[in-house]
Order: sequence, then structure tokens, then C-alpha cells
Amino acid sequence: MVGTPPPLPVRDRAATDDRTAGALSPMLRRLAEEQATGVLVREHGTLHLARGRVVHAESPLAPGLNVLLTAHGTLAAAAWQRAAERAGGTADAALLLLDAGLLPSGALELCHLDALYDAGYFALAPSSTPGRFRYDGTPRIGPLPSVPVIALERETLRRRLLLHRLWPDPAADSAPLIRADPAAGAQVTARRRAVLDRVDGVRTAPEIARDLGRQAFHTLVDVRRLAAAGLVRPVRGTPVPPPLPPAPPLTVTDPDIALLKRLRDALEAL
Amino acid sequence: MPGIDECLLDAMRLPGARGAALVDWTSGLALGSVGEAPGGDHETTAAEAAELARLAAEHGAFTAGHAEDGRPPVEDVIISNRDSYHLLRFVVTSFDSSVFLHLWLGREEGNLALARIRLGEMADRLVLG
Repeated sequence: MVGTPPPLPVRDRAATDDRTAGALSPMLRRLAEEQATGVLVREHGTLHLARGRVVHAESPLAPGLNVLLTAHGTLAAAAWQRAAERAGGTADAALLLLDAGLLPSGALELCHLDALYDAGYFALAPSSTPGRFRYDGTPRIGPLPSVPVIALERETLRRRLLLHRLWPDPAADSAPLIRADPAAGAQVTARRRAVLDRVDGVRTAPEIARDLGRQAFHTLVDVRRLAAAGLVRPVRGTPVPPPLPPAPPLTVTDPDIALLKRLRDALEAL
Repeated sequence: MPGIDECLLDAMRLPGARGAALVDWTSGLALGSVGEAPGGDHETTAAEAAELARLAAEHGAFTAGHAEDGRPPVEDVIISNRDSYHLLRFVVTSFDSSVFLHLWLGREEGNLALARIRLGEMADRLVLG
């Protein structure tokens, strides 16, 4: 018996133009409005913007395009190395590969978008320090797909809501993971089995993702599902963010949380 | 070699095609979309189709057996409506991903058997060149 899973969150269209917009970060909105070109450096990642569109994203928590492409032999590590040396950066290395025809365009575009949304998710994560934007004419819109910065932010908020609905405790996203004893023998899919096999009391979800050559957000989804099934838990005693105080619902001021609550209420009202 | 947009435009050339999208079934994100979406919203359609695709890809009832060649056992998911078909075709990539092509096809003009074969070819061409 398998219960009906919670549906994937969708954006509340009626709210997209007014209420949700108020929840987006003022800095990103300004960068979008002025179609800024430059590099946004935040605590957990970096966005390269060209005319208000994200052309490249990097995060220490998300495997880069190079990892995704080389982990399973799509591209030889040496071929990536050569391209990266010639281009002097990940973003331009991808363009060289495209030009050289070493990879089918569709595969490269798909991997590029996967890596962009994945790193973007962490780059836009709540941070303890303010982001810095450096105007810089280097990033440019090239043949690889780009994403409006506001669209990336909205997708990131949707992904946060998805994780929250799967298992509300975010500790499993960043702490070392350990196997737990499930109450009953739970069925595990092959993809989640690969994640579970790497849970060793030391590695974190982003480290497991890198080891598997998988998107980190995909791994967070699997880890939260495994946590919900009682199969893994964060290692106790590791420094995890203190639990949120039980704030009265009417005094929520964090725009992201306010958005998530509205999205949840809208979904539940369907 | 076709990119994502060319692949989706190819799919739209099939008789009866109303809309097409490339969707990630783990996150529910549409990585590309063209044409119409049921209800007018590609994002909502992508999230809902992703949920269906994930169930088909993960649940044992649909995935039993036949994994020797490393390809996932489920090739596609077909929904038939009174006036249309939805065809979800899993894209097999050499790198780790979880995407499928979603084709919405008018039932009067569409040919489901033909569309299924063509969509499979397009999925392969997208990532194999």
C-alpha cells in the first residue's frame, strides 16, 4: 500500500503578479528591471547575469556542469580539462564544447540548465550575509539557454516548498547523514538506493550528490523522502540551525516564509 | 544537431500536436515548452505531469523486470482523454537526469501510434545527436 504522495507544488497564478512579486528579493527584482549585467556573489553561490538573465550559476554545494558531464562518461574528463584550460572558466568551457561538437546540443543544453537551476537553488538560499553585485561586462547571452533571474528565484521558492512538503526538517539537507532503523521494511527505488548506500555517518547530501554525479537538489529530494520513510536522519550533535521559534502566524515578516505559507494554503484550498 | 527548442518544435510538427514540453520529473520544472498547455499554463501542467511520470518511473508495479541494459523499464506513459492524448516519453541520458518529453495531441487529427514512435526517436536524437 502506498499513500497518495503530496502533489508537486505549482505557482499560484492569480498571485504571480502581485502578492508573490512582493515576496521576491528587492535586489533581484532591481537587477531584473535594470537588465543588469555582472556577477551576483552570495553566501552559498554565484549567479552570472547578462541583461537580467542568468547565464551561469555556481555553488560549492552543487556539482558543476563538469561533474554532471564526466561522472558517467558522457564526456571524458580530459576533454573537459582541455576545454576549461582554453576557455578559462566553466561557463565558456561549455561554449567551446558546443562549438567543437563534442556533445549533442540537446544533451549540453539540458545539462547546462540542470546545473544552472541546481546551483541557483543554493545561491539563492537564505544567507547570513548580504549578497554583493559587481557590474561586469563579461557575462553575455550566448547559444546556451539562459533564465530570467526572477524566474530562477520563483523556481527556487517552489523547490523550497517541495522539500518542505516532503519532510519539513531541513537539517537533512546539510548535516552528515546516518541510517536509521525504519519501523517497517520500506521499499526503496533504485535511485534512492544509490543515495542510501552512500549514507555513512560522515557524508552530507551535497557530498553524496557529487559522488553520484547527480544534481544536488535531486539528492535533497531523495534524502527528504528517505527521512520521511524513517530510513535516514541527520547525525545528532552536528551543528544544525536552531529550530525556529514558534512564531505567531500573523506576525510572519520573512517574505519567503510568507510566500510558502500562501502557496501551501492555496494548494490546500484546491 | 537539435537542441531542446528544435526538439520541441519537431514534436509540434506531428499531426494534431497541441503542445509539447521537456520536464524534469524530480522537481516538476519545465525546461522548455511550446504551443498550448491544458488550462493555459505550462508550469502547472509540467508539475502535474511530473508527478504522474514519477509514479510510473518509481513504483514497482510498472517497473518490474528488464533492467539488464541499464535503460529504465518504463518507456512512456499514455493518457487518453475524450478529445486528446497525453504522451509522456522518458528521455534516456548518458548523464544523470530525470526528464521526459510531454506531447499533448488532439485525438481527431493525431495518430497515437505514429506519435509514440516519433517521440521516442526525438528523445534519442535530443541527447544522442
